Amino acid sequence: MIIDIHFIGLIITSIMASAVPLILASCGELITERSGVLNLGVEGMMIIGAISGFAFMTVTGSLFIAVIGAMLAGVLISTIFAFLTQTLITNHVATGLALTIFGIGISAMIGKNFVGIPGKEFPVLFESLKDTIPFLSPILFGHSIVFYFAFALPFFTNYFLKKTKIGLIVRAVGDSPESASNQGINVKLVRYSCILYGGAMCGLAGAYLSMIYTPQWIENMTGGRGWIALALVVFSTWNPIKILIGAMIFGGLTIIQFHMQAMGVRVPVQFLTALPYIVTIIVLVVISRDSRKIRLSTPSSLGKSFYKDN
Amino acid sequence: MNTNLKISNVTKIYPGCVANDNVSLEFNSGKIYALLGENGAGKSTLVKILSGVIIPDEGKIYLNENNLKLNSPLDAKKNDIGMVFQHFNLFETLSVFENLIIDSDEQRKSLREKIDSIMKKYNFSIDLDIPVLNLSAGQKQKVEIIRCLIRNPKVLIMDEPTSVLTEQETSELFLSLKKFSEEGILIIYITHKLKEVMQLCDEVAVMRRGKLVSVSQIKNENIESLANKMVGQNLKTIKKRKAKTSSDQLINITNLNFISEDPFETNLNNINFSVNRGECLGIAGISGNGQSELFQVLSGEILSDKNSIEYNKNYIGDLNPQERREYLMAFSPEDRLEQAAIPQMAIFENVALNNFKSSNFFNNGLINENKIKEHSKKIISDFNVNTDNIELKSQFLSGGNLQKLIIGRELITAPDLLICFNPTWGLDVGAINYIHETLIKINEQNKSIILISTDTDELLKLSDKISVIHKGKLSNIMNADEVTSEKLGILMGGGN
Repeated sequence: MIIDIHFIGLIITSIMASAVPLILASCGELITERSGVLNLGVEGMMIIGAISGFAFMTVTGSLFIAVIGAMLAGVLISTIFAFLTQTLITNHVATGLALTIFGIGISAMIGKNFVGIPGKEFPVLFESLKDTIPFLSPILFGHSIVFYFAFALPFFTNYFLKKTKIGLIVRAVGDSPESASNQGINVKLVRYSCILYGGAMCGLAGAYLSMIYTPQWIENMTGGRGWIALALVVFSTWNPIKILIGAMIFGGLTIIQFHMQAMGVRVPVQFLTALPYIVTIIVLVVISRDSRKIRLSTPSSLGKSFYKDN
Repeated sequence: MNTNLKISNVTKIYPGCVANDNVSLEFNSGKIYALLGENGAGKSTLVKILSGVIIPDEGKIYLNENNLKLNSPLDAKKNDIGMVFQHFNLFETLSVFENLIIDSDEQRKSLREKIDSIMKKYNFSIDLDIPVLNLSAGQKQKVEIIRCLIRNPKVLIMDEPTSVLTEQETSELFLSLKKFSEEGILIIYITHKLKEVMQLCDEVAVMRRGKLVSVSQIKNENIESLANKMVGQNLKTIKKRKAKTSSDQLINITNLNFISEDPFETNLNNINFSVNRGECLGIAGISGNGQSELFQVLSGEILSDKNSIEYNKNYIGDLNPQERREYLMAFSPEDRLEQAAIPQMAIFENVALNNFKSSNFFNNGLINENKIKEHSKKIISDFNVNTDNIELKSQFLSGGNLQKLIIGRELITAPDLLICFNPTWGLDVGAINYIHETLIKINEQNKSIILISTDTDELLKLSDKISVIHKGKLSNIMNADEVTSEKLGILMGGGN
């Protein structure tokens, strides 16, 4: 069988596109978790982002307002989570699960009016450069701004955590909120900020799905991507660069298994559909095997409530 | 410049307990002050007020005549009050340098230079770029001290600093503290160890039950007078009788090894020792040198080669703790609330956890509550646990009472061998005395003890034979009357 070189380029492009929402949501959740907060509401926040983005776009007609609106919607719903877990000291796991259920429910309700409405075309960058280099330039150029942002984000996140003072404070709070508080760091403020940032990124990931990836509203359109994003954070051992690798593997296998099904490869469909999940986890576990490094990058206080008693 | 710190009529009330009752104290730089008291005497509350962690209900604090408003740890830092907490306030997974830069406003480079010059001046040597969790307790404390010194403090408060240190590290710390004091830093030293007060301090304030009971010059005091002030009654001194030599071997460990998969545990390397009936073997060492692994191997939490542990002529290396209890072994682990008892469960339920065969605590899978309660009451009265409510959750017992309950639970089965790990860690003088008496009594009844402890004085007081564990290896076994704490200190540090 001869495979066209353009076809390979096309596959690579679609793999990268499908990795975008995973990278965005994972990098957001990574910051949240690094501060010691376990927010299982990623799926819920993404779907809220998806419906808000699509709704703002349809109502206002402005793509810019829609993207910002989706991020703000993510911030808004994560504020609920932050208020519950940080101010009212509820359990992180239960609150996060509730957030997901809430998000899916409310997005379906709002989304009723938006089913079947066609999306808008999202402007792409560097369109004119597409013909400059054979094979490479169709992969590199002609994507939305969100796409480029997503692939830069893991590196920014890594730089932020390792090199900046605020990143250091986030890691310190995740390591020991008690010590941080005794050092005069406002633990609640740090955690609130990290939760809201995570919400914004999940909102953006959702908006990418409903406005760029498949420009329309379908109920439950995140389809478990939020859970994959969560798993990526854990299996990458809270390392943004490994998140990028994991998201690419996951996206890659998802796309490839579609093509394998289309080509009629004689493997059970269920196995092919399960493949991305299994392989991603195996690869991430293998590349993160060093238990010393795991210990150093795992936020020790993850999922534990912190309250100050005077 | 002279520094004057004044605490004026400070009161802090918690529900059901007055932690500080109208305490007034005055300190001047150039001297080292001791704040002495048992656990729960209120000294920690007082220093937490000074460091802004706790806000007092009433009272004022003056530094050089200025009234300080200490509403947060940041306020204390801004007012040049540095504090080294008993439980380190470090971020274990961050590097030493990251720990230091986090609350500093300086640039990386200038801060690094400053830290280097501090380390040079006081002879500290710490690698700034390794994560804190790789440091020893003594090094961690030095990081805390450096963190205070970066800010050129006027006041330095040390809360029970030696509880995790070796003899050598302690004397190093004392040298540094004396140097700080000469340089004009006012030092307040909180402890319940009397020997240290006599060694280091110039003036001593004693607290008891939230009240200040006395302030005096060290030269007018001695260990007995301070102990009596601290406890409020005359303490009897206990002494161990000379061991009668028995040759009846009870437990014999040969070629015991343990290789851990967790890089943060210590491997045990070819451990050999034996304990005779009626004998107490003390195992000294700096914490983290394999004591907890050794305890777990001896108790059966970690299984080993069947033949490596011979107990009463049976090979038991592959038996779990429950099975070992049937052979009349008993265990008192280090962490009372994490390993020895379940804090959320009632006293009598915790007693039932030690479920030995002859106890009849359970009938056909059902709990025999009356039997357990009866048994618990016996423990409480036999072992002086200060409560009469056996349905109380065990987390509400004080450390001393909980330890008495645990030792009682273990001993009421009349075991032949008790293995205990830091049995008096963090307890007050009264409870320590009681535990020590109990352990001596066991030996007198011809029962044996393996005492793993980081407290050298305790080991010298109770042991017949002593060995030192260092990096998972045991030293030669020595007769207790032939060793001194200095010698142990050298061995604990890895010397010869």
